[in-house]
Amino acid sequence: MDKISSFFKKFGLGFVHAFTKNGARVNFVKLSKNRTALAFLLPITAIILSFILGSIVLALIGADPFKAITSMFQGAGFLPKARYGGGQNQFSDFMKLLNNATPLIFASLAVSVALSAGMFNIGISGVMVLSGFISSVLIGYSPLPAVVARPAVLIICLILGMGAGALVGFLKYKFNINEVVQAIMFNYTFMYITNYFIYKFFLNPETRSSVVVSDAARLTIADVKVGGVEIVVPLGFIVLIAVAVIVYIFLTRTKDGFEMRAVGLNPRCAEYVGISVKKNVILAMAISGALAGLAGATFYLGATNTIKPETLPSTGFDAIAVCLLGGSHPIGIFLASLLISGMTTGGAYMQARASVSTQVPSLIIGIMLIFAACTAFMRYYLQKMSLKVEDNLKKEGLL
Amino acid sequence: MQNSNSEYIIEMKHITKRFPGIVANDDVSISVKKGEIYALLGENGAGKSTLMSMLFGLYEPDEGEIFIRGEKVKFKSPNDASAIGIGMVHQHFKLVEPFTVTENVVLGIEGGTIVDLKSAREKILKLSSEYGLEVNPDDKIKDLPVCTRQRVEIFKMLYRDAEILIFDEPTGVLTPQEIDKLLEILENLRKSGKTILLITHKLEEIKRVADRCAILRQGKLIEVVNTKDVSTSEMASLMVGHTVLFDIDKSPMKKGDVVLSVKNMSYKKKGESVYRVRDVNFDVHAGEVFAIAGVSGNGQMEIADIITGIIQDSTGEIVLDGEDISKLSIDERIKRGISYVPEDRHAVALVLDETLEDNIVLKKMDTAQFLKKIFLRRNEISTYADMIIDKYDVRSGQGRSTIVRSMSGGNQQKAIIGREIELDAKLLIFVQPTRGLDVGAIENIWKLILKERDRGKAVLLISLELEEIMNLADTVGVIYNGHIDKIASRDQLTEREIGSYMMGVKHNG
Repeated sequence: MDKISSFFKKFGLGFVHAFTKNGARVNFVKLSKNRTALAFLLPITAIILSFILGSIVLALIGADPFKAITSMFQGAGFLPKARYGGGQNQFSDFMKLLNNATPLIFASLAVSVALSAGMFNIGISGVMVLSGFISSVLIGYSPLPAVVARPAVLIICLILGMGAGALVGFLKYKFNINEVVQAIMFNYTFMYITNYFIYKFFLNPETRSSVVVSDAARLTIADVKVGGVEIVVPLGFIVLIAVAVIVYIFLTRTKDGFEMRAVGLNPRCAEYVGISVKKNVILAMAISGALAGLAGATFYLGATNTIKPETLPSTGFDAIAVCLLGGSHPIGIFLASLLISGMTTGGAYMQARASVSTQVPSLIIGIMLIFAACTAFMRYYLQKMSLKVEDNLKKEGLL
Repeated sequence: MQNSNSEYIIEMKHITKRFPGIVANDDVSISVKKGEIYALLGENGAGKSTLMSMLFGLYEPDEGEIFIRGEKVKFKSPNDASAIGIGMVHQHFKLVEPFTVTENVVLGIEGGTIVDLKSAREKILKLSSEYGLEVNPDDKIKDLPVCTRQRVEIFKMLYRDAEILIFDEPTGVLTPQEIDKLLEILENLRKSGKTILLITHKLEEIKRVADRCAILRQGKLIEVVNTKDVSTSEMASLMVGHTVLFDIDKSPMKKGDVVLSVKNMSYKKKGESVYRVRDVNFDVHAGEVFAIAGVSGNGQMEIADIITGIIQDSTGEIVLDGEDISKLSIDERIKRGISYVPEDRHAVALVLDETLEDNIVLKKMDTAQFLKKIFLRRNEISTYADMIIDKYDVRSGQGRSTIVRSMSGGNQQKAIIGREIELDAKLLIFVQPTRGLDVGAIENIWKLILKERDRGKAVLLISLELEEIMNLADTVGVIYNGHIDKIASRDQLTEREIGSYMMGVKHNG
């Protein structure tokens, strides 16, 4: 094998070695040890497997799997449609997707920050409702101009979320009250308080939803005409990118970010080296809460412009699923959010074109989650196989 | 299918077992005769525990076959092994503390919805007289000393009619007198027809009770010897592959000023009625190794946690270089100059899922050396980590970027010790610094400890290994039931004397 591969290498065709049987075995072993490659490949495998399984289900219910899945992606804006309605094209679809996905990405970041400190933030939806409501009342119903209104909305939501998060963190540290229990209680508390005030003062009797906020306060500019097409400008998405970068740098490059992660990975060790577990628990939940607040801002004054009473947005719970699929890494979270958001958005078009129920995207997402949860097992099995191959290669003198 | 010689009750043929990054057992074949005491000797990582775990049903071999009483077996779980008469006493006991002896013994084989504790109790008393093992079935585990708890583990096996008994490092937690007792028990069990497998690294014990000994090194079987025909030094050489020195060169002590002074230290854990530490007083000088000897569980580990600040609600004074630090935070104490190598390297000293370099700088992250405003200086961190990896011979798969979890215990410990020594603290606290390490690594770490002592550092050594204490200590304090009963210069004490103080026997003078 060495002679053949050195022959190819001489002509700059070293990669052909990879296609030989022994080359493939060596590369298999190298790949199994490459954590970053696996971090990508395993979720992608989960996604592909779930689409395969989803296709089987579609075929069983008498639909055309290829048509159904492509029309779902077309509805999302990942693929071009055959025909577009007036003033719409693939770009406008995609912009709509970004706008809808932004709250989900913020919420997923919130989950992942809390998770990095070892905690589970399931209270994002409640924070979203609270922050969405208060900023609607204070800014959304005011005559403030956009240049003041929009930043004000963001700041109010951020501060409210931060406060809620810090409270949860404090109660957890001081009284050891489980953060999940707290979050669930706060979810309903916030929802019912805002309910009361919406019904009493801010209800639109026709839509049975809260009075819409002013366009100036909204983080989405709707009906913008660009090159013959009407698109939405997802301002929230731009804020999201900036915030995501800041959060990522904080977690990976700063000392405080590292200490927070250390507390999540091994609180006893963190204590032993002199890190304040109390400070980091509160800080992590505060940051997570702030991100949840921003999710609220981009949802209630972005993706939509009204608050439907008596509902907790599913965003806060889908976010947990996204985090699992995206492996808690910002890029993974981004891509997983786009995928999941896209699938739910594209469901309507899929129903129109392929006559498939809108439940199907949810079904495929559910299967995806089960497979995503199995990536740990996939990794274990892969390592076991690769060790055997490695052992054999060593015995044959090829490694 | 009858496949093998029935003289052998156990045959393990061509067993291979792999874990990520390591081949734990490489084509190992052993055969054990019925009624013999068969020892497995090897350094840490040699593969003896893994091999026995497969016999006990905890793991399945990747390759090879196991035959019990001539029949091929495949264990899916310890229940399968237990069902055909194999039992194991682990290094870390698997007992439920608030339960009684009886409840622990029947746990797992209660036999029906209604648990018949009365007949279980009677069976235990019967076994007790049959095998000469004293135990009170109504005692609660949490009230029992370690040697009795071990006896309960033995009962679990006898209750299940085990014929093959595996002991994993049984003497690590016992005093010399208790070890004698245990070896007697093993002899009695053998006389009753049991087959015993003994995993150990204690050469003298192998010579005393074992018939044959399999020596493993780095996953491979080196040789099986008749213990009558070999000396301990021959066994040691086979174990490490070269001749080994057991006595370390120690220069005379150059005692300086008092660095650490502990006065009237007492500690009672919340919710417990017994004081774990009772009125402890001792001093550690610069250039001195002060060792606390004692059986596990007598309060010595708590003393280390109290001095470093991990345990906060103790009483008494802790004076470091003239300053009372008992009210300071952990971080402040580290900065005043205390290094700590704790007993539990996985749960306390390391963040297993982080890289080696991040673990190395853990305690120094907020110094200007590694911090620029709020950002970590990754280049500085890498350089520092490489220096420690080089100086302390820390081996790992991917150098400083290795995830610590994948490193061997010995190398993890080297990294921890390197990290702590390089803090250049006035007081170094070492707790069980060579636990689970091979002879070569132990020697190296002993040399490092003595080097710091020669450099004028104050060293507090807390260890359960008498050999370690005898080799390193200048002054020895023996702890029993939370109180240090005797403090004397190491030269004035013999191992037997220390052993008896550890058991609570008080001598005059």
